[in-house]
Amino acid sequence: MNALVPLPVVLPLTACGLSMFIGPRLRVLHRLIGIGVLAAVLAVDLVLLVGADRDGPLVVHLGDFAPPLGVTLVADRLAALMLTVSGAVTLIVLIYALGQDMVDREERAPIAVFHPAYLVLVSGVSLTFLAGDLVTLYVGFEIMLMASFVLLTLGGTEPRLRAGSTYVVVSLVSSLVFLAGIAVAYAACGTANFAQLAVRLSDVPLGVRTLIEALLLTVFGVKAAVFPVAAWLPDSYPTAPAPVTAVFAGLLTKVGVYSILRAETLLFPGNRLSTLLMAIAFASLLIGILGAVAQTDLKRLLSFTLVSHIGFMLYGLALGSRGGIGGAIVYTAHHITVQTTLFLAAGLLERRYGSTDLTRLGGAARTAPLLAALWFVPAMNLAGIPPLSGFLGKLGLMQAGAADGGVDTYVLLAACAVASLLTLYVMVKVWNLAFWRATPSQLPLEGTVLEDTDDTDDTDDTADADGTADAGQVRSVGAVAVAPASACVRTTVRVPYVMIGATVAAVLLGLSYTVLATPLAGLADRSAAELLARTPYVEAVLGP
Amino acid sequence: MTVSLTLLICAVVLTAVGAVLLHTRSLTRVLMGVIVCGNGVNLLVLATTGRAGAPPLLYPGVAHARVTDPLPQAIVLTAVVITLATTAFVLAMVYRSSQLTGTDFVQDDVEDRRVVLRAEIAEERAELRERHRGEGPRAWRDERREQRRRLRADRAFQARARDAPGDLWDDILGADPPQSPSPARQENDPR
Amino acid sequence: MTFLVLAHFVVALCAAPLVRRAGPRAFIVLALPPAAALLWALCQWGTVTGGGASSEAWTWIEAYDVDAAFRLDALALVMVLLAAGIGALVLLYCGSYFAPGTRQLGAFGGNLLAFAGAMLGLVLADDLMILYLFWELTTVLSFLLIGYDSEKRGSRRSALQALTVTMVGGLAMFVGFLMLGHAAGTYRISRILESPPAADATLSAALVLILVGALAKSAVWPLSMWLPNAMAAPTPVSAYLHAAAMVKAGVYLVARLAPAFADVAPWRPVLLILGTATMLLGGWRALRLNDLKLVLAYGTVSQLGFLIVLAGDGTYNTGLAAVTMILGHALFKAPLFLVTGIVDHAAGTRDLRRLSGVGRTLPWVAVVAVVAGASMVALVPLLGFVAKEAAFEALWHGTVAERWVLALIVVGSALTTAYTLRFLWGAFARKPGVADSAVHRVGPLFLAPPALLALASLLLGPGIGWAAPLFEAYAAQYTLPAHPYHLALWHGFGPALGLSALAWAGGAVLFAGRDTVARLGRRVAWPKADEAFGRTVLGVERMALQVTGAVQKGSLPAYVATVLGVMLAGLLAVLLTDRPWHGAPAPRAWDTPWQAAVAALTCACALMCLVVQRRMKAAVLAGLTGYGTALLYVVQGAPDLALTQFGVETVSTVVLVLVLRRLPVHFGETLRSWRRVASLLLALASSLVVACAVWIAAAARTADAAGAAMTEETAHHGLKDVVATILVDFRAWDTMGESAVLAVAVLGVTSLLYVHRRQGPAPGTPPALPGGVTAWSLATPAIEVPPKYRQTAPERSWLTAGDTLAPEHRSVVFEVIARLVFHPILMLSVYLLLCAENLPGGGFVGGLVAGVALMIRYLAGGRHELDAAAPLHPGFFTGLGLALSTGIALIGLVDGTVLHAWTWHGRLPLIGDWHMGTAVLFDLGVYLLVLGGVLDIVRALGSKIDQQTERRAGLALAREGER
Repeated sequence: MNALVPLPVVLPLTACGLSMFIGPRLRVLHRLIGIGVLAAVLAVDLVLLVGADRDGPLVVHLGDFAPPLGVTLVADRLAALMLTVSGAVTLIVLIYALGQDMVDREERAPIAVFHPAYLVLVSGVSLTFLAGDLVTLYVGFEIMLMASFVLLTLGGTEPRLRAGSTYVVVSLVSSLVFLAGIAVAYAACGTANFAQLAVRLSDVPLGVRTLIEALLLTVFGVKAAVFPVAAWLPDSYPTAPAPVTAVFAGLLTKVGVYSILRAETLLFPGNRLSTLLMAIAFASLLIGILGAVAQTDLKRLLSFTLVSHIGFMLYGLALGSRGGIGGAIVYTAHHITVQTTLFLAAGLLERRYGSTDLTRLGGAARTAPLLAALWFVPAMNLAGIPPLSGFLGKLGLMQAGAADGGVDTYVLLAACAVASLLTLYVMVKVWNLAFWRATPSQLPLEGTVLEDTDDTDDTDDTADADGTADAGQVRSVGAVAVAPASACVRTTVRVPYVMIGATVAAVLLGLSYTVLATPLAGLADRSAAELLARTPYVEAVLGP
Repeated sequence: MTVSLTLLICAVVLTAVGAVLLHTRSLTRVLMGVIVCGNGVNLLVLATTGRAGAPPLLYPGVAHARVTDPLPQAIVLTAVVITLATTAFVLAMVYRSSQLTGTDFVQDDVEDRRVVLRAEIAEERAELRERHRGEGPRAWRDERREQRRRLRADRAFQARARDAPGDLWDDILGADPPQSPSPARQENDPR
Repeated sequence: MTFLVLAHFVVALCAAPLVRRAGPRAFIVLALPPAAALLWALCQWGTVTGGGASSEAWTWIEAYDVDAAFRLDALALVMVLLAAGIGALVLLYCGSYFAPGTRQLGAFGGNLLAFAGAMLGLVLADDLMILYLFWELTTVLSFLLIGYDSEKRGSRRSALQALTVTMVGGLAMFVGFLMLGHAAGTYRISRILESPPAADATLSAALVLILVGALAKSAVWPLSMWLPNAMAAPTPVSAYLHAAAMVKAGVYLVARLAPAFADVAPWRPVLLILGTATMLLGGWRALRLNDLKLVLAYGTVSQLGFLIVLAGDGTYNTGLAAVTMILGHALFKAPLFLVTGIVDHAAGTRDLRRLSGVGRTLPWVAVVAVVAGASMVALVPLLGFVAKEAAFEALWHGTVAERWVLALIVVGSALTTAYTLRFLWGAFARKPGVADSAVHRVGPLFLAPPALLALASLLLGPGIGWAAPLFEAYAAQYTLPAHPYHLALWHGFGPALGLSALAWAGGAVLFAGRDTVARLGRRVAWPKADEAFGRTVLGVERMALQVTGAVQKGSLPAYVATVLGVMLAGLLAVLLTDRPWHGAPAPRAWDTPWQAAVAALTCACALMCLVVQRRMKAAVLAGLTGYGTALLYVVQGAPDLALTQFGVETVSTVVLVLVLRRLPVHFGETLRSWRRVASLLLALASSLVVACAVWIAAAARTADAAGAAMTEETAHHGLKDVVATILVDFRAWDTMGESAVLAVAVLGVTSLLYVHRRQGPAPGTPPALPGGVTAWSLATPAIEVPPKYRQTAPERSWLTAGDTLAPEHRSVVFEVIARLVFHPILMLSVYLLLCAENLPGGGFVGGLVAGVALMIRYLAGGRHELDAAAPLHPGFFTGLGLALSTGIALIGLVDGTVLHAWTWHGRLPLIGDWHMGTAVLFDLGVYLLVLGGVLDIVRALGSKIDQQTERRAGLALAREGER
């Protein structure tokens, strides 16, 4: 069983190597490799989950070098749960991306980009969940980041480059800070291994320990996009292709949340910064959701709700109790799924109507009822309407908050309620604008143009490739048309069944949490207990 | 364990210079910042080896106690490789960006600027309404027109053909098509 | 019970296809689940009236102690009668109300049925969380139902309003439930009621929060504005949701909790005051409206206030009255709404100023309405009378406060009488000066549902004895007073009857003076809560714009500064509060003077980076700081590191130069001086603080470094280079990770350079061509350059550049040297690969060196030379390397762990003792990967850029030629 632990990292990397090796021509092979490997990873994740729940943390010392010599990977309940959820989500998104013909459009490129980069991303995410020391975590982050840079700038259009620059630079800064954090931690403890750090940090003076904590929290905070350092997220995520945004929104920030959870429970127990975390959670919850209220573009709006809902998880962590952390874990699992699903649904809308700008959409409930349902269910889920999974997470968190009983927790409870309310409000706004109101061909459009989207931006091919492109000429690919600035051509395309199927699968995955509430919440509860006890982890790594 | 002040100072200078370069708009400069700052941080990591010593090459006669701590070196090595990867990628971005826009500057996010603009407009409208309370709608029509003109000009400037409507209700509920002028709201109104 | 509730949802899911196939007739099928629920509930009559209850529970979320628990007791049974009975009738009514072919009818039917299911679940729930679950489900479903006519902005607004207002209450209630559950130790309602937690501040707060939810749902002032607006929904929805079922949920919750909590501090005053106020305000407002549905809606608001007063008062007698009134109200208000729907349907309007003489053309409809209206004004012998009699009687014998409330309620009842008369008159009477409305006939099936309900009102008055045990079973939860009230139709003449008479008379007077009243009402109209809602929403929107505009600057430097600032603030806060530097030994000045000298030079280079304006210069300076750092590594005793740093720095400097030759010479960026100073200060402060942290942390080190153990272990294995051993053995995993980073970065470079998608021509002017000629591009402008020509490599000769490069850009000496050193350098790289673990080197450095060899070929001979040197597609080596090293890692699985290392020893002729390990194979993978990486980077950032420049130049030339 333990031997399986590294597989979620290694398998995608091998597949990526093969994918790059065989070149871009054999498209079917790329698909087979991608889906096969991710399905295998998901299976491994499930086995790990069962194993970790039954036998306690699964530890593998790579190359048989036990700490302090080698690298250790640890799959405890939390890591295994995160792995499983991310495995399911990444598989679904890959299938969705195949439906969107992400690969076919690379036809003329000398190298297949999407598949290998995506696989590396999955590998990096898995590595961060499994990492047993700071350096490995750093490497995991870097793998994930570099892959996400590539995916974010896919196609190299101007908005993507601009968004990519924001993302890349902020990420690089946070990586540098992380490295500095590793330096400080190593200077103080002479090790980077989590378990050893956990033991040695208790001998280090409190001030030094808090210095390390501050550095690491800054880094993880940037990754998780909590309030003061969250502004980069809504500027960078929405411009990427829909499946990429979906997987970023679902997973990447959660990796930050996971790291915060891990660091705060294992390395810095005692919850010294509880009040600070509460304040950050409070600000994230409210400012994030207000940001969503201000938006009129669907993807950006969703990005802001993402920032806001990170606050829920932080709140659970700030409570520091078993209930709170358990609630945060459930919420994280839920949020990975639902946020991905919403972005997938937004991608369907974009595909169908050529835009995610809410001022241009309309009437979708009538023209595409299935799409409406696929949007409505996860939207309500995000808003925490029972019995959907958002409610489960919120219930766990707020139950723990009510049990805690301090004044600050009540303030946060109120903030949670307000954020839920405004989330619902925002979702209803979207529903009003995109789905309910009359189809906006009847609306005054003021000479607006259907802008380029994912599906249309491969129509132009300017001087750097062969042929010249004439501006203003209407050309169509499939059924999508790009119009010159004066006219407004509104056409719809049929959404591929594979994309719909993948979205349905994502919605069903979200719904399955309702049915599996007892195992899920129980698992979260047990992993919270395991995290708080710390000894299972430390003993599994260092031996009793 | 003590560290060398020289190393620290050098690291401070490098990271500070790097950080200054990092918050500029030119992507090339940012890249220089990443390289310089990365070197600085690597020096910080290296400083944690403690006192300078013999290279960790265990030839006969090398006292193991005098050998420098090898682990930070391995960590720095990792970081160096990653910096190379980053450099290559950011360079590609620089090139692509200059190919598209003729510069390597990172512009502000247009959507954000739009929100700022909308905030200003909404605020000004409220202000105008307050100032002209009770004077009827005619009194401040000119000012509103001026405001709209400014809004349109800014819109054109942004060249995105996206409007920032003055009526927030349109953003919440969506406007109805003009041909159905009697929304149910009026039916509900008792007066 | 679970089955019944679920059946609603299952059938609801099938509604759309059913309706598509069968049209409105499908509603008969849709009415089956609620009818079944009704039948089942009636079967439980005996158990329930005997004070028992039937219950069932399933575990749902064990960790949170939430069970799907259902329980049918007296109160629940009354509510089931409403939810299921009226639900079934309303669904039947829908079959006649909607014309065949109505748009979205299937979805509507499904929603309505699902709503019925949610309502059933709500009243049966015996767990606070399950109650909340169905509560919110009804909210969401009612949102969809109210917005049925979604293309009207008004509908959307009403739906939004109903949703947000009830959701505000719902969330407050949720928090209240959590607090209550925590105080009681369980969420099971029946258990909480059995042993309620002791009254304290928390409990009071919890109850207030719960009441907010209940009052919002039941449209009690000041949260009542949503109910009249919700009349935008089709009439059956109004009849069911907004008269019979959903709005009763709040009353139900109050009635449910009152037996245990009526005595806790703010409960009674809150409910009595708000309930009474609602009753008066709603009734008063109803008197001046002209839309029949709105008259009824405000009437409902008023009646809900009354119900809240009764249910919240929390004594045996008022409880009895409350539960009777709940049933009575549903039985008269639902038919009135349904009748309104019929009138609207038949006459095409609901404006009472335009309706006239409908009573004559639709006599049976009028009869039904009159019966129901009579029950509403509590005339003998209807159920309404029985209920109101009980209410008056109960309050009459109560405390002073209750008597005051009673006085106001009598006033409210007078208003009720008045607006009922106004309704009946408005709908059916013949008005002077108004032409008779044109009315089409109404089928019996259409009228049957309201008629049945009105008939029930009529029968249950005399037959109250039959229903009384049920109501008394509920009231039995309260402590029994000395003289418990008994429900009966006729209690003889007493104060209660007197008060009723007073209310009738007052109502008649008000109706007689209806025009005056309406005028008066309009004159003293206070600002509507509806406007307050609008202002709140707009306020939130504006605040969102302000806040987001302030926070989300959209400027990259600002984001970077924020990250640094947060880090700085955090570290400074720790440093200042904990003062961890106490007792830390001061750092030593330097290790060797060399260190200081190199450091000074490096710093100087770095500082110059700040001021230079030329790109190339900056690149070179940045490279110099890198070399300086490498020297510092050497001084510190890290040769491996230095070697790698040299290699990396070389590659990146060359690549930088390759790209920067295509960019403008100067940065062209000017910063305002204050920003410059600010960023300098921020950067310096952050760096200083981090360096301080390193110093303090190092001073606090007590444990041994992990590195020392690695040195020992390496020595133990007989290897020599510790760092290389770490890279390929101990921490080979991280090496694998970093090579993946490199691989994917190369992928990204290729992706960006070979991109084929672009969204139109670049805005602004494209970068000017540098005279059409560069060092590696075209020979002379005279040469014809077809666009396709440059893509294929020309025929090979030993020095490829001879065919492809312009003679003035060639340096034959360089080319020849490049050719000559190429293979020796490759050999060197292989040597570096193989000597790992004993000498500074390893796969990584080896790969870099091999890459440099290819780079030299490119620099000397141009891109075709490079193609000749490595005629493979991009990603080939990189992919191969990655697959190889990870594959080797995977092989270890055979022995139980990834990256397990094997070594084979052997003896070969010529070489002698030989050993071969998987570690070397792993390193070979890294070697290939790095080689491929450098190759691809040079190919993309060198060759591809050349190619693009050439094509542009070619195009420019071609255009010029055309002119």
